Amino acid sequence: MNQSDIANYCIEQLKEAGAHKSQCAVTFSEKKELNVETGEMSLFRTTFDTNVGMSVIVDQKSGSVAINKTDKDSINEAVRKVMDMAQSSQPDDANDISPSQPKQSFSKGDEKPDMEKMYLRLDEFMGYVKKTHPTINMEAAIVDFSHSTSVFQNSNGVEFTTKEGMYGFSNMFTAKEGKDTSSFNGMGISALNLNTPFIESGSAKRLLKQSTEQVRTKPVSEKFTGEIVVTPDCLSDFLGFITGDISDGKIISKTSIYKEKLNKQITDSRFTLHARPVSDEITDGYFITDDGYVAENNTIIDNGVLKTHLLSLYGANKTGGKRAVNGGGAFVVDAGEKPKDEIIRNIKKGILLERFSGGRPSADGEFSGVAKNSYYIENGELKYPISETMISGNIQEMFSNIGEISSDRIDFGYCIFPWISFKGVTVS
Amino acid sequence: MNIPHDISQYNHHFRDYTELRVQENRVTRISLTNGDVTGNVSSAQSGVSARVFKDGNWGFSSAPEFNDDSVGRVVKSSTENVQFMNLKNTSRCGLILPDTLGEYEMDFATKKPRENQKYWVDFAREVDGYLEKKFPELLSRNVMVAGTDMEKSLSTSDGSKSYSMTPRSFLVVTVAIEKDGNPVNLYEFFGGLGQMEDNLLSPSDFLPKLDDLVSRLKQKADGVFPTAGLQNVIMDADLAGILAHEAIGHTTEADLVLGGSVAGDLMGQEVVSPLITLVDYANTFDDKTCPVPVYVDDEGTPSKDTVIIKDGVLKNFMHNKESAQHFETQPDGNARAYAFSDEPLIRMRNTAFVPGTNSLEDMISSIDDGYYLTKSSNGQADSTSEFMFGIAMGYEIKNGKIGRAIKETTISGIAFDVLKTVDMISEEMSWSAGGMCGKKQWIPVGMGGPAIKCKVNIGGR
Repeated sequence: MNQSDIANYCIEQLKEAGAHKSQCAVTFSEKKELNVETGEMSLFRTTFDTNVGMSVIVDQKSGSVAINKTDKDSINEAVRKVMDMAQSSQPDDANDISPSQPKQSFSKGDEKPDMEKMYLRLDEFMGYVKKTHPTINMEAAIVDFSHSTSVFQNSNGVEFTTKEGMYGFSNMFTAKEGKDTSSFNGMGISALNLNTPFIESGSAKRLLKQSTEQVRTKPVSEKFTGEIVVTPDCLSDFLGFITGDISDGKIISKTSIYKEKLNKQITDSRFTLHARPVSDEITDGYFITDDGYVAENNTIIDNGVLKTHLLSLYGANKTGGKRAVNGGGAFVVDAGEKPKDEIIRNIKKGILLERFSGGRPSADGEFSGVAKNSYYIENGELKYPISETMISGNIQEMFSNIGEISSDRIDFGYCIFPWISFKGVTVS
Repeated sequence: MNIPHDISQYNHHFRDYTELRVQENRVTRISLTNGDVTGNVSSAQSGVSARVFKDGNWGFSSAPEFNDDSVGRVVKSSTENVQFMNLKNTSRCGLILPDTLGEYEMDFATKKPRENQKYWVDFAREVDGYLEKKFPELLSRNVMVAGTDMEKSLSTSDGSKSYSMTPRSFLVVTVAIEKDGNPVNLYEFFGGLGQMEDNLLSPSDFLPKLDDLVSRLKQKADGVFPTAGLQNVIMDADLAGILAHEAIGHTTEADLVLGGSVAGDLMGQEVVSPLITLVDYANTFDDKTCPVPVYVDDEGTPSKDTVIIKDGVLKNFMHNKESAQHFETQPDGNARAYAFSDEPLIRMRNTAFVPGTNSLEDMISSIDDGYYLTKSSNGQADSTSEFMFGIAMGYEIKNGKIGRAIKETTISGIAFDVLKTVDMISEEMSWSAGGMCGKKQWIPVGMGGPAIKCKVNIGGR
């Protein structure tokens, strides 16, 4: 059976077993992965996998099961199991599947990896690091190519087919001089091809250079309230609180501080956030949502105003809210007016926050954590790399106290973020 | 998928050093949010993998089917991968891995009849119903019943054979209350090693613990900001276990040592207070099975305890076969993989400070002004041993007595420095069995320890 036949077989079997509504996704995937471990390229992995996911609704009761087998015995057993799970559950009028939509196919990226180029790009990157930054210890560097084909069907007649090939590159490293060691650092990107050397991708070059400077650090000398410049590499640590708080879990449980804030100002008016899973701008987006809709781009925060919660079909039905046209992620923050260097030059006293090791913010947005791989700023200059320095504040207040948003941004393939300075953050 | 207890019949496919593993991970999760079933999911991911070593390089391959043909294919694919590497890189030729030979079977599956899904949905609903009825003032209730089974069988060209079925199961309850218009929440894990039938006997067993959870939530809602800065604190076992794992443990994993961690230069030196002994236990502590018992690792090495720090002196790193060869020592069985499609990495198992001789009461009464930190929300550490833990629950200590609860905060410091300030260690050992550690792959870990008294930086306003 091909993937479409398998998905169709699952839907038919579920219907026969008594399902009122059902959906099924069948995915075949293959991954090739070259690994540098402790400075040497020494491992090549090839993994094949299958995923068959089924969700079912019976008398408004739901259940979901996932297996990685496609033989009829395994599928029949999974059908029996998911029906038992659904029948054991509680009815909830919010359970539903997506309505009939035109059959569509989507594709992106290569079918097969260029293994020679994968090797050459990783070897080139390692050569650059060894030559340019001899104090760097590359604990891990990975280049991979993942190819998947997926068929999504539901009992309302929806059928989407997706093919995708994507390269990924990630690394983790420290710098070491004598007995002095920097903090871990690292980054990751997604790409449709290997045209760009890894050292020119994302923030690789900047982070490697910074780590070599960070083998000797010191704490800031005094507690102060100042301005922190959050880099694209660590913006998601703070943005994640907002996007998490406007998603199903928090909105349904009524613990979101943004539950009553639709169409209200929640951040500085210069801040605009989009989710663009199907734009050309975002390499590593997605075509369909988990609940069976064709994904669309949207603007979540428009000039500071919250335009949508990130509710799934279930979340929307449950809360009476509006379903978001995508499942979040693929985030793009609009650029500001000034280059990041100018923003830093205008800061009297603050921190350039390159990485944040923070506690999970409390439900009201209070946070504190350690500034990692970061610098003390005084009179517009990066004075020294810091350690044992804690920053604290409230994320809700922070995004209302934006100093500047940079004109330069980093494209990681899965998100595009600028540098943002925030005022009134406690540094201790 | 049926996981055979012995897969050595497939060894005829081996030509070079090879590890063959067949594995299935099964997950069940039921979630209730304010009484509604918001999660009712089950998954089973299984398959076979082979890892081949030749001339200093590694090849790995995995596939979801398991039969003689698929074993032949993954061994062949792994061999082709190692050949690709050997054509490109000959610098590692001559590297020889230490031989290890392990043979063990361990099955922690319940001996009781398995309950059906309805039983566990009803179990979660009874827990939720209790909270709803007794505490109508709660803003939200989340109740989750979850179980994970890891069942695997290994055969290696060294002759090692092992089979293990290692389940974990939990009841996780998160409650929230509104205070001054803002939500405040607190969670608790119940459970550990074993399937749900063995860990979650009856909802009524947990009701007093739920009363306690809500009581602590209310204390937290009325909590005060801690005073920021260097403070005398007592880290309860939950925190001490994370400190042992995150802040010290990771810096002593040999791959991270080779990656530049600060511990690389400290072997044989007194690195912390002489009161401190830190061990990564393989499977047993004080004649009791640890939360994540490992008897033979995924390279086929028999597992034994690794004494990382003994009386304050750094004694050992944790190894796989390759790093043990590099450091001219023997591995203790720390190479573990999460899924069938994952290669083994150097991982901790059950990492804990060894208990001391003080009572918790004496420790608290020895502090005039400080904090008793009882629950973490998350934790991160670094190659420098600088760490940060979120504090989900804690209390002031004033004049030797427990005072007001504190708001959520974080603590941070350089672990090797913080542990030099330890001057009291409690006599009780308490294990936390819910930990998942992320390092390329996620994997279950056990963490534990006694309470420790030390000085640490605490966040606050």
